[in-house]
Amino acid sequence: MKRPLFILLGALVLGAAIFTGAYFVSQRTCLICRAQPDDDLAWLRLEFHLTDAEMARIQKLHEGYLPQCAAVCAQIAAKKQELESAPGGGTNLTAATRVGLQELDQLRTQCRTQMLRYFTTVSQAMPPEQGRRYLAEMQRLTASTQEQMEQSMSAHASHDSGR
Amino acid sequence: MKENMNPNDAPLSALLRAARPSPSLPPRFQENVWRRIEAGGAGAGSAGWLATLVALVMKPRFALAGAALLLLAGAWLGAHEGTQVVRQDAQGRYLAAVMPGSLR
Repeated sequence: MKRPLFILLGALVLGAAIFTGAYFVSQRTCLICRAQPDDDLAWLRLEFHLTDAEMARIQKLHEGYLPQCAAVCAQIAAKKQELESAPGGGTNLTAATRVGLQELDQLRTQCRTQMLRYFTTVSQAMPPEQGRRYLAEMQRLTASTQEQMEQSMSAHASHDSGR
Repeated sequence: MKENMNPNDAPLSALLRAARPSPSLPPRFQENVWRRIEAGGAGAGSAGWLATLVALVMKPRFALAGAALLLLAGAWLGAHEGTQVVRQDAQGRYLAAVMPGSLR
């Protein structure tokens, strides 16, 4: 009675070991072979199956966008810093603060517009179907991260002022 | 000597039976015997089922097919998971690049 049970348990353990071993080896191999830690645009190639020519076009657009984005982000951070360090008017909103907030809103709008324009341009550099999918995905992702972005920028600004 | 042993010798048989009296059976003997037979039969059935399964598992063709199937399933699932992880990492990196500060 006991011997067949042990054999069956042994077979099950062996089977589980084969499955687990194959799983981890395969996953590890996949991570090593497919990961491209230096390439910011690797996701586009992976997700949207782009050709080298399409990737080269997008690379150019990306390199053009990054300095513009950094410039506006720096302006936003500076404006927020300015508002935070401005002498407070107690519980009243001063005219200078109101103007500062309006300027901050304009900068945020400019940042968003610039980002959406970049997404649109990149989507146009892709095959139509992939471009539509990319644009939808980016709109979904930006909607959820916009708030985090602003919070993070204010954190960056306070870090920069602390140096 | 041989000619003295007659199996049809009735007086001799009676004498032998009287010399070796059979002991009386314990109470509920027959019931207990049947119970043990039934219990033995049930145990043998479960052991038989297990033994049949083990015999099947131990067949080289079956064992090899099972091992190959598990190997392929594990490799497929690992590759699938690995691709997902790579894709998520790459997506995070791209978002961090186009939305500075959002994911850092």
